[in-house]
Amino acid sequence: MKRNEYDVIIVGGGITGAGTARDCAMRGLKVLLIERHDIATGATGRNHGLLHSGARYAVTDQESANECIRENMILRRIASHCVDETDGFFITLPEDDLNYQAKFVESCLAAGINAEIVDPKEALRMEPAMNPDIIGAVKVPDGSVDPFRLCAANMVDAKLHGAQVLLYTEVTGVIKDGDRVVGVKTYNHQTHKSGQYYANITVNAAGIWGQRIADLAGVKIGMFPAKGALLIFAHRVNGIVINRCRKPANADILVPGDTVCIIGTTSTKIPFEECDGVRVTPEEVNLLIEEGAKLAPALASTRILRAYAGVRPLVSADNDPSGRNISRGIVCLDHETRDGVKGFISITGGKLMTYRLMAEMATDLVCKKLAVDKACETASTPLPGSGEKSFREVAEKIWENPTTVQKAAAGRLGTGAARIQSADSLDQSLICECEEVSVGEINSAIERLDVNGLTDLRRRTRVGMGTCQGELCGCRAAGLLAKAHGCADRARADLQDFMTERWKGMYPIGWGDALREAEYTQWVYKHVLGV
Amino acid sequence: MRFDTVIIGGGLAGLTAGISLQEAGQKVAIVSAGQNAMHFFSGSFEEAAPVRERVSALFAAAGVRTNAIDGLQLMPMGKFQPVSLTLEDVTVFPEEHIAEKALIVNFTGFHDFYCTFLAETLEKAGTACRIRFVRLPEMEHLRTSPSEMRSVNIARVLDEYWEKAVSDIRILLGDEDLIILPQVFGLKDASVLDKIRTALPARVAFVGTMPPSVPGIRTQMLLKRRFEVLGGTFLMGDEVTSAALHEGVVSSITTRNLDTARLFADHFILASGGYFSKGLAATPTQVYEPLFGLDIDYPAERKDWYDADFFAEQPFMDFGVKTDALLHAVKDGEPVKNLFCIGSVLGGTRKEDYGTAAGLAIRTAFAVVDTIKGGNV
Repeated sequence: MKRNEYDVIIVGGGITGAGTARDCAMRGLKVLLIERHDIATGATGRNHGLLHSGARYAVTDQESANECIRENMILRRIASHCVDETDGFFITLPEDDLNYQAKFVESCLAAGINAEIVDPKEALRMEPAMNPDIIGAVKVPDGSVDPFRLCAANMVDAKLHGAQVLLYTEVTGVIKDGDRVVGVKTYNHQTHKSGQYYANITVNAAGIWGQRIADLAGVKIGMFPAKGALLIFAHRVNGIVINRCRKPANADILVPGDTVCIIGTTSTKIPFEECDGVRVTPEEVNLLIEEGAKLAPALASTRILRAYAGVRPLVSADNDPSGRNISRGIVCLDHETRDGVKGFISITGGKLMTYRLMAEMATDLVCKKLAVDKACETASTPLPGSGEKSFREVAEKIWENPTTVQKAAAGRLGTGAARIQSADSLDQSLICECEEVSVGEINSAIERLDVNGLTDLRRRTRVGMGTCQGELCGCRAAGLLAKAHGCADRARADLQDFMTERWKGMYPIGWGDALREAEYTQWVYKHVLGV
Repeated sequence: MRFDTVIIGGGLAGLTAGISLQEAGQKVAIVSAGQNAMHFFSGSFEEAAPVRERVSALFAAAGVRTNAIDGLQLMPMGKFQPVSLTLEDVTVFPEEHIAEKALIVNFTGFHDFYCTFLAETLEKAGTACRIRFVRLPEMEHLRTSPSEMRSVNIARVLDEYWEKAVSDIRILLGDEDLIILPQVFGLKDASVLDKIRTALPARVAFVGTMPPSVPGIRTQMLLKRRFEVLGGTFLMGDEVTSAALHEGVVSSITTRNLDTARLFADHFILASGGYFSKGLAATPTQVYEPLFGLDIDYPAERKDWYDADFFAEQPFMDFGVKTDALLHAVKDGEPVKNLFCIGSVLGGTRKEDYGTAAGLAIRTAFAVVDTIKGGNV
């Protein structure tokens, strides 16, 4: 009897899982992706959104540096609607060693990264937000990338190629037949139903949680969870990425993204049990501001919107359980050769930047095992919504005289914006004023992008990511969701979850204007809305 | 310039105190920065029950009509909340079963009024609901800008064209015995509310929208007018820049607009609000009262300022200026003899005696007025 049979099951709906699902589906495999929350809820959505040039790793890790620059150039082509080609500077401050610069540039060039020394005065003219005391600057092809959009685009394309996606579905067990993994047991957190799915190959792409999935399959992966905290500032202080030209350290990257900029990160080892509920501490916030202000002095007085933290899925490169040999590179484990467990692959380590390469490596291995002879095409095939240069051009192709709201949507969705209803002023009216998200865009996301609630909606449209952190648009969007799903109780509970989640990132930076906003939000929800 | 009392802050607390003192024959000035908590007022004076007759009388003289009855208010997200004193805009229901059948009417494209939420709550309590939309051509110009369909803008249009809306609603009305409308009527003139009630063949209930609050803004305008009619000086859009405080007595303040001219008074009342109104402020390491540097009790560790659960009681909401029993502000451990604190600048420090929110604003205002009038300061 055929029961939910697939060629490959992919566990994890982050960027690695989404990318692998896309690659597998494009090679003609029958794919099922299973994610216990929503897309991009783990490390995928909790980083800088930096399109690394690879320069950061050039001195210490040529292999990673080279991977980065190659993927950097690929993403500019296949995901242009997710990428902002800002360039980046590596600056040397008076307290840093300027001798490092020469070694840095040499290493970059050796890795294939176009690094160019720029006179500090000229660099300051190009990026006035930079610390004026710099004594050196190197320009590199950094950029910024929207990880939510990138993940959503991979997911959409995987589905267009026939993949099936189960969200809010947790893998609770691995089904084995002797020494072979043949499927997974699941529990759906929304329908509260259990399920069983079968496949020839199961790919563990669950990031830091991959350790648990491996446990279920009876194999050990030594993960070393490292928490990284970041801060989002309310303005786009810098137009060009600013890095410190020294060995990688805390809070030494400032990335502009959409209307904001992000400073990070810290790095703290945490116990595996704490991966699910990481919080940002006051000490981390203080450190990020202090170090960030050395890159761009304006940060000391710029309003902070939010603090957040992710957990890097660092993994020991081999079977060494001590963690001495931690790699930041890609780790693709064939558990058949490594542990004698057939039909099971783990793809982990790596970076947001190298997700496509990770997906390619995992898919190559899957194809080898299934004896499928089809070459990878993800490096040359644009993602849905990509393929055009500027969002203005995209908007102008879709609409005659596009409005600013339509341009904002084109910036988020690329050519996919054409599907948004914006025929009349009703569809164009704004739900989220901070991020210029219209009724049409939200309705289209609800219809097409598997939106279960407000937090899902935020990941797909940026609703609630602006200055007010959702206090007004959260309610408006809840109204639309209540209407679309025909259930106000669910939307109301969802609004509470949404505000709880927004608050998690607000209270660590609760002073000044953020505290004013917090008091206002308390008033609105408790006294006006009576939630 | 010399006054009997100078009040810093033109919100509910400051205006209540200002009007009461003018009524008692004092010469009063209010320095008001502009926007205040009245702009997001729910229409219900929470925790004001002990003084509701006194509030109603004060407001009535200002042309603000109130409902001083116990009952339930239908909140914008569909919850019922017990009330004892509300603006006339708020329909007070005796029970959650508010009608057999209700028609909920909204204006097309207005996303700050939550019909679906209301309908679901009401249906649970046995009220069958129908949701309908009205689209007035006079509102079309608001839609050309995507962020203009907001309560106050709609209310401005309706100040002129409410009769057209009413005639559309009359057409939509079936056999319902109750019509629910958003609180976007009568911004300029509250008598429109009664006219609408008379013009429609079913009972009418007005329910709140997202801020800004149309009833709150109208009430603030009427109270300010009343204060000025009584002879009070309302310094609008002004800000206190410095205060002369020596040996526990405030002698004068300066404001931005008055430049070098000083405002002298026997008594000063600080009604400058909470964090949002900048009556209280915070840096990463301290919470402070920016004008006089008054004493505030709060935990030294920033992590203790908040509860991780957004919907729990938040400690920072309880931080406020310390006072003695007569609401004299305390600075460096000593009460300032002629400086009183009222309203949200107190945070939750006086909630045992005076409640919170609107109740705190009004009850502390009355308490300080009585102290000043009694001459027993």
